[in-house]
Amino acid sequence: MMPKFHSFLFVSVVVAVGTASRMFAVESALVFEKDVRPILKAQCFHCHGEDGEKKGELDVRLARLLQKGGKSGPSVVAGKPEQSHILEMLKSGKMPKEGTKLPDEDIAIIERWIREGARTARPEPEDPDKAPLFTSEESSWWSLQPIQRPEIPAQNDSRGRNPIDAFLAAKLKEKGLTFSDSADAATLNRRLAFDLTGLPADTVGEKKGENYTDSEWSALVDHYLALPAYGERWGRHWLDVAGYADSDGYNEQDTIRENAWKYRDYVIQSLNADKPYKLFVKEQLAGDEMAEKQGLNQDAPDAKARARYAELLTATGFLRMAADGTMTENTVLARNESIVDTMKIVGTAFYGMTLNCAECHDHRHDPITQKDYYELRAVFEPGFNPKQWRRPMERLVSLQTKEDKARAAEIEVEAKKIDDARLAKQEVFITEVLEKELARRPEIEREPLRKAYRTVVKDRTPEQVALLKKNPSIEKLNGSSLYLYDTTYKTKHADELKKMAEEAAKIRATKPQEEKVQAFTELPAKNGEFPKAFLLHRGNPENPTVEVKPSDLDVLAIWRKTEIPEKTSELKTSGRRLALAEMLTDGEHPLLARVIVNRVWMHHFGTGLVKTVADFGHLGDTPSHPELLDWLASEFMAKGWSLKQLHRMILTSYAWRQKSDRDELRERIDPDNRLLSRQSKHRLEAEALRDALLSVSGALNPKRGGQPVPVSLTEEGRVVLGVDTRDAAGRQTGKFVSLEGEEYRRSVYVQIRRKNPFEIFAAFDAPDMTVANCEIRPNTTVSPQSLLLMNNPEMREFARLFAERILKGHEAAPVEELVSAAWQIAYGRPPVADELKSGSAYLQQQIEQYTREPAKFENALGVADAKVAPPKVLGLAALGQALMSANEFLYID
Amino acid sequence: MLTRRNFLERGYGLGGIALASLLKEQGLLANSEIAAEGSKVFDNHPKPPQHGFGRARAMISMFMQGGPSHIDLFDPKPVLDRLDGKDFPGELKFDDAAGASREVMAAPWKFSKHGECGMDFSELVPHMAGIADDITMIRSMYTGVNNHGQSINALHNGSILTGRPTLGSWVCYGLGSENENLPAYVALTDPRGLPVLGVDNFTNGWLPSVYQGTVIRSKEPRILNLDPPKSLQGAVQGRYLDFVGALNQRHLNSRPGEQELEARIQSFELAARMQIAAKEVLDLSDETEETKRMYGIGEQPTDDFGTRCLIARRLVERGVRFISIFTGNQTWDSHSNLITNLPAACAYVDKPAAALVRDLKQRGLLDTTIVHWGGEMGRLPVIQNRSGAAKGDRKTVGRDHNTYGFSMWVAGGGFKGGHVHGATDEFGHRAVEGIVNHFDYHATLLHLFGFDSRDLTYRRNGVAQSLITDLNARVVSELLA
Repeated sequence: MMPKFHSFLFVSVVVAVGTASRMFAVESALVFEKDVRPILKAQCFHCHGEDGEKKGELDVRLARLLQKGGKSGPSVVAGKPEQSHILEMLKSGKMPKEGTKLPDEDIAIIERWIREGARTARPEPEDPDKAPLFTSEESSWWSLQPIQRPEIPAQNDSRGRNPIDAFLAAKLKEKGLTFSDSADAATLNRRLAFDLTGLPADTVGEKKGENYTDSEWSALVDHYLALPAYGERWGRHWLDVAGYADSDGYNEQDTIRENAWKYRDYVIQSLNADKPYKLFVKEQLAGDEMAEKQGLNQDAPDAKARARYAELLTATGFLRMAADGTMTENTVLARNESIVDTMKIVGTAFYGMTLNCAECHDHRHDPITQKDYYELRAVFEPGFNPKQWRRPMERLVSLQTKEDKARAAEIEVEAKKIDDARLAKQEVFITEVLEKELARRPEIEREPLRKAYRTVVKDRTPEQVALLKKNPSIEKLNGSSLYLYDTTYKTKHADELKKMAEEAAKIRATKPQEEKVQAFTELPAKNGEFPKAFLLHRGNPENPTVEVKPSDLDVLAIWRKTEIPEKTSELKTSGRRLALAEMLTDGEHPLLARVIVNRVWMHHFGTGLVKTVADFGHLGDTPSHPELLDWLASEFMAKGWSLKQLHRMILTSYAWRQKSDRDELRERIDPDNRLLSRQSKHRLEAEALRDALLSVSGALNPKRGGQPVPVSLTEEGRVVLGVDTRDAAGRQTGKFVSLEGEEYRRSVYVQIRRKNPFEIFAAFDAPDMTVANCEIRPNTTVSPQSLLLMNNPEMREFARLFAERILKGHEAAPVEELVSAAWQIAYGRPPVADELKSGSAYLQQQIEQYTREPAKFENALGVADAKVAPPKVLGLAALGQALMSANEFLYID
Repeated sequence: MLTRRNFLERGYGLGGIALASLLKEQGLLANSEIAAEGSKVFDNHPKPPQHGFGRARAMISMFMQGGPSHIDLFDPKPVLDRLDGKDFPGELKFDDAAGASREVMAAPWKFSKHGECGMDFSELVPHMAGIADDITMIRSMYTGVNNHGQSINALHNGSILTGRPTLGSWVCYGLGSENENLPAYVALTDPRGLPVLGVDNFTNGWLPSVYQGTVIRSKEPRILNLDPPKSLQGAVQGRYLDFVGALNQRHLNSRPGEQELEARIQSFELAARMQIAAKEVLDLSDETEETKRMYGIGEQPTDDFGTRCLIARRLVERGVRFISIFTGNQTWDSHSNLITNLPAACAYVDKPAAALVRDLKQRGLLDTTIVHWGGEMGRLPVIQNRSGAAKGDRKTVGRDHNTYGFSMWVAGGGFKGGHVHGATDEFGHRAVEGIVNHFDYHATLLHLFGFDSRDLTYRRNGVAQSLITDLNARVVSELLA
């Protein structure tokens, strides 16, 4: 496999984005640090200053050095643009040599700065190499500043319910917009149900009137939040970030990850329990260290303590989610790739920064150095330990208790006794058969044959070998062929031995089950030393340079602690991850809370306050409502880091309850709806779509947790739900194993094979996790999706189940009644008059067609039904499939 | 109705204003004729080009993601033979310092001249050499962003950022499709995996969803769910489609301006028509053995790429507007093992790519179909030695990225045949003559499709956006027949 040089994707310079924000530079004089340095840093430092590189003896990192100049004389002459060499080079496009010509705006800024006297914001440092790594302009980037608690604006819209509305309405007013009307009760109920549970609305939210009262609404929010389906829905969102899959990926083998699902269940359960996000993060980064600190282990006397231990270890599975090819390709490169992907996941999840851009060199745009990257990686180094790499199967942690282990050993002794007895018996039988065989040979051959047989194979003389060859029924006599002689001699040796083997197996079956989890743990320190971490030159694992010490991002050191001790006396492990987790969750970290509230916001509104939910840096989006983002983050932390509380806050806002319709004014002023003068319509995600299909067809199997529902490949090459019955060579055997209702479980429980994504998921943009993780899902509208809705065998099965559900007990009902029921079930509303009319006509015609031309139902798996189906069922299935294919089903208003 | 003045005033988003300020009055005015009002319906109905000079009706781009080594294939540099093993005399721009060296490596393969025009090809691409007189070799390509992602973006969407619409989407936006029974914009992906940046290689970005590239799968079944189950065939499904269409139309009527809902309606209509049309186009059984042999179908290593090239020709024959054929993730990215990787990568595509041009020509389709073959970069003239091989041992060494000067070829649709354009320096490192950057390349393509490069615009956030973001982009008329 070719290495994936992700890091190289980010190396070079970007011209379009940085410029825009500078266009509004205030009229005060430009200064080097704020206005000029960012341009030069992205375009010029590489050759003129950084890493000892000073082409043409020119260093452009300081204004003073620009004035000093290089071989071609001073680059900048303060106040005299016409004498400043740099402008000549930039305007002519001679520089930068390697990139495209600088945009005119950038050159204009530099020119203006020179004309205004080439000012600096403050005296420049003596030595540019020892200068602070970041200028205050760089380190003052918004997302790296302490989270503020902004003043809540006055509520200027009488419909506003809470501070969220106050912040939004204030901005809307500035732009000449107001909130839209509230959506009606049915729309809101459906929107809310899918938002919180990923399933259609249930009957609790049904409302006769147009609108909910505030207390009804709050109760409904609480109702859905309390359903276990909430954790399944929002857990799936987190699994995107974590890069969850049930296979190892990396290469074509794509080995199965037997225990990954335990982490999936951990996530779902944690969300359902409304585990404070702070704790959720801590457990995933350092559950093993928390357990040790709390004295928890698999031998804790109390079952609850043991369960907590298991939970904490399972949580660290987060750090083992990345693709990992080392089961089949255990190379330095493959190991490093897995670590790089894990760092990417950590970056997305907790920092919302493109940390991975600093893997090979300093981040070109954000104040993150390459050293930072490796200092952060050093936190995880003792666990990864690439020198003593443990392959996925080798790092599973057993949860078996000491007692159980001992008990298992005792049972093994018992079983072994029977094994031994069986082997002894077998030997007796072999001797018996041997003698019988010999007895059939001439007297003279018997002793040499006996001797030859009893001689160990490698010690046999050529004569003995030849002799045995002549007597295959003696040569081939052994434990596994013994049964063949039962027929010859009318004995029952095989049966007797088999019984003994079964007895041993039965005893072994009484051993306590050994459960294993895929965890992130550290090997014990060698002589008190943990593996050293190094900066890898250009990200190359074969090329370590300087040693680095664990630390959070240096840029934060200006206002908070960033050092992470290399080890702690409190723990057997290094304690680095626990220290990082505590640092991230101390309530002051500028990124963690902002990143999660923004992500939650995105799932409620379709777009984050910061659109680029995984990039809060210079190349990302800036917040549409910075004060609101900070207020939400601070409120979130103040309310105990409760995600459910955050949901309540957002969902009970007026803004969330608005209509989603577009109109001319809104389109003109705010076509992307960043100001939220309305809600947005969106398509159901792949999983929610399938779950909705299961739900309305009445098939949904509510079973929670446990082993994933397997996927397999059909002969045709489709990836379907099913037990893989291909033979060792990958050929279809045609054997069909029933899933016994497992195929109707929620989508979050369907196995994710990175190389063979389930068809419905792949078609509707679910991630296949062949890259580290999924920051934001794409949203495509292509005809293969329509073909799936039209023709896919699973879709057909949903339609059939839908029909059978409606007909059950109403076999004789008139067509209109069936149509009404179908509408109610599919859309949660009765049909209006003309829908009822056209729906009934459609159903009637389909029934008539099927009466004229009887048909059978095909099945998603296995062969078609033997008998033709009743026309009414077929017709109703055709109606159900249409309703379930239509936009009213696929989209949320 | 918006006037230019008020939408500039109201332009939200800083980037928007920055861009707006770059746009010429002319561009903005032209935009108002094409681009949307809120509820305009976007579709793939055929539309006339803006100008009569459009000669191309379709394009097939064979995108060699990873970066084929121009100095080993198309751009011979005798100086390198002299300097082989010596220190590189000039300045070099590396991307990947792992194993970076200044040791010159001459092309390990022989070059010779081909066709009446005498175009140079190395022995690795004998079939391409055979179509020398039909193609224009551009030896002075330049994107200047030395890494895969940005350079891929530059060539696909005209900017180094991800998320903008790709060339194919723009062409379909401007011209629609001649065949409304098939997707207007098709991506034929490689069984070895998607290229770097995945689906962004054929995304519609912020153009309406109907301009998205549709994937025809890399293996059978090429399109899933093309056949209705028996119980739905015939009139049953016809009624189903009408009924779903009516439901969706009613739904859309009360939700004006929702382009995605409209796109979904169209995707159903297309899907219905595709059931017959796509089956027909993907069924190669009516192709002669001779044709299949020409594409290398039925033999290795050309079977896959040959089949996809033949499918592309069949799509073009039926009026599909834009087709991208991709090679696998980083197939051409030979940082090491050049000596084995490059011949393997060439052998996979050489015969089929040449066959495609020949076949289009013999069917009279080449005049109206642009064919492109190339990647996002070339390679450096020096050794990259990641494995630390001993001096002189060339078995495991490779070459690093080079986006400052590289080659690709184009044919048909109004491009010259038998023409070599531009040149790199004597080492093949930097384009020095007739430089063609991605802006120029796009301007030239749009020109061939009948668009003045900046007139093809789409209004977004009150700003007329175009594929080409650089006002200096020029139509490279030297390339045109």
